[in-house]
Amino acid sequence: MYRRFLVGLAVLALLALPLAGQQPQGRVALILDIGGRGDLSFNDMGFKGTEEAVRDFGWEMTVTEAVTAADFLPNLRHAARAGVFDLIICVGFLQADALNQVAPEFPDQKFAIIDAVVDQPNVLSIIFEEQEGSALVGALAGMLAAHYGYPYVGIVLGIEIPVLYRFEAGYRFGIDWGLRKYAEVTGEEPNVGLLWVYTGTFSDIAKGKAAAEAQIEKGAVAVYNVAGPLGVGILEAVTEKLEELGREAGPPFMIGVDANQDWMGDGNKVIASMMKRVDVGCYTAIRMVHEGTFEGGRILRMSLANEGVGISRFLDLLDFIDFGVAAGAISAEERPEIAANWAAMRASLPTWIWKAVDELEEKILAGEIVVPKPTTREEMLKVRELYPLVRE
Amino acid sequence: MKRVYDTLRSVAESILAAIIGLVVAGLILKAWGYSPISAYIALFEASFKDLYGFSGALANATPLILTALTFAVAARAGLFNIGAEGQMYLGALAAVAASLFRLPPVLHLLVALAFAGAAGALWALVPSGLRATRGVSEVISTIMFNWISRFLAFWLVANVLVDPYRAEKTITVLPPSRFPTLVRGTDLSYAIFLAVAVALLVYFLLRYTVTGYEMRAAGANPDAARYGGVRSAKVIVLVFLLGGITAGLAGATQSLGRPPSYAVFSGLPKISNLGFDGIGVAMIGRNHPLGIIFAAIFYGGLQSGARVMQLFAGIPLEMVRMVQGVIVLALALPELLRIFRGFRRRRVELGGER
Repeated sequence: MYRRFLVGLAVLALLALPLAGQQPQGRVALILDIGGRGDLSFNDMGFKGTEEAVRDFGWEMTVTEAVTAADFLPNLRHAARAGVFDLIICVGFLQADALNQVAPEFPDQKFAIIDAVVDQPNVLSIIFEEQEGSALVGALAGMLAAHYGYPYVGIVLGIEIPVLYRFEAGYRFGIDWGLRKYAEVTGEEPNVGLLWVYTGTFSDIAKGKAAAEAQIEKGAVAVYNVAGPLGVGILEAVTEKLEELGREAGPPFMIGVDANQDWMGDGNKVIASMMKRVDVGCYTAIRMVHEGTFEGGRILRMSLANEGVGISRFLDLLDFIDFGVAAGAISAEERPEIAANWAAMRASLPTWIWKAVDELEEKILAGEIVVPKPTTREEMLKVRELYPLVRE
Repeated sequence: MKRVYDTLRSVAESILAAIIGLVVAGLILKAWGYSPISAYIALFEASFKDLYGFSGALANATPLILTALTFAVAARAGLFNIGAEGQMYLGALAAVAASLFRLPPVLHLLVALAFAGAAGALWALVPSGLRATRGVSEVISTIMFNWISRFLAFWLVANVLVDPYRAEKTITVLPPSRFPTLVRGTDLSYAIFLAVAVALLVYFLLRYTVTGYEMRAAGANPDAARYGGVRSAKVIVLVFLLGGITAGLAGATQSLGRPPSYAVFSGLPKISNLGFDGIGVAMIGRNHPLGIIFAAIFYGGLQSGARVMQLFAGIPLEMVRMVQGVIVLALALPELLRIFRGFRRRRVELGGER
């Protein structure tokens, strides 16, 4: 009886559906991590790239967010069982175990995963060399602190996972490089330390704010957001400090992550962002399936060299103001003001600092400098030992 | 006869509440331009169409039955135990800790479960002692203990039980101490039998033993119970210990019985909120062990429904959670009203004293 009732309802629902348009060229399921949409960074970037690809190639997309980590496995299985998706993209390292189990269960289903290597013949793994981009913002932060005479630079991280070790290691390396560069250029030996904390969350915005407040109170010139949506809280902490100081623009600053977050806070509170092009990763995966060049078992490495990571620049700022408008965070009318504020903020620093950041980038690209890339806890501990960044 | 009537009345109330909840949520869906019919089809098809879906609902229900019991047992004795969340974290980790050594199959699982139950009970001991001896409100103390437990758990994951090769998680539970999968290709493990057995045990305890009678008497009228020779301190501690054990076991069902990763991750993403969800389940199940089993399966089904509503009805997660929230609230309302009415009556009778 119950079944018949359901079938009846289903038929009714089908009749009620407006006549569908033409058949899509393909279908993609985007399976997001906990936290999901609205983080203005990691997950939204995955959404952005997928949406662009869907538009460009005439595909159709479905988005699923996880409520808890217990959802990862059934989310994936459900999408794969449906058998209607040409590609299933898992956004987030934490889904690796689930994908490792599901991929062999559905050998004909194509998968892609962001931020993890899942060694299965039907999975494309997309990983990022975050340490390279983090070194650039680290160098900037170190020179900023020395330039403004602040005692510390800060970093607020999410959950202690190997992906975040690459951010932390790169940042430490970069700060050290920046401080030495500062000494070389000005002849003064700066005394700058690093304040760092793993908050244990990628979703609790209040924790991000509390952690950033503590660091700013101690005298951090900039706080690097390595915890997705927690950046919203970090920016609040920065903004409140600036209000207290009676200033519009930093210092203190935030350093953005994943997206170009420079537009946040009127364009004069986020000095730069470490861009991690999750959007490009998702777009590329869909393009590969669309063009028939998808190869499972491959690793797609996104680095400085192929612009998969990098420090934010003016060109992508405009693109990401639109991203902010689309997310409802700002309105389109604010665009010129944000761009002007941003230009003024960047111009307030001596040109040689920006040139030094470019120099580091060139040296990494040329292979003259190799940024440490820890994969285990032991290796991370070694990097911390090598670059302790404790104030004397 | 009275019991049959009461049961029927409760069931009728719940059905009415569910209908009201569905209608209200449906109107909101409609107002935002989503089709309530396809949404509800997706919601219920997710769990109640085939074995695969139903297994998912049961897998979700497993820990919820146990954490709901924590709240329900205390509520029966007139106490508000919000501490399942924190006790459950430590139970999950204690069960993992049992994998620091090797034991034969079956025995290993039993030892891990004993660890989990003991950890949960231990964590419940301080709030119950404070309540029993100093009259400290158990609501406040258990909420505070949840936070302590949360950060203790973070620390344990990152420093004590950490996997040397993967810093984001604890060591993986050894296969002999895992719950085997019950239905292949799903999340459902044999842990569901543990949860149901514990619920039946609690039912038996409350209904047919002297201790259970004392617990219920303390809840129904603490002064009369004291007059009748019930030692309220003993009842409080017993209720909390029992709740701690079931909450600890709830954590164990996740670390020992939920694929794919038999471990606890940093940030506790897989187990967070199971304790709080248990309170909702207890409310829907009228704080009755048997009602809780059905309520948990229903609640677990709603959780699976979240996935299918997103995948196939195209409804964003925020909307899905709104729908779930309205339905759960509507279903919990009758019990909630009953509890508050009880409190008020008691307060009036005793002249403001609880």
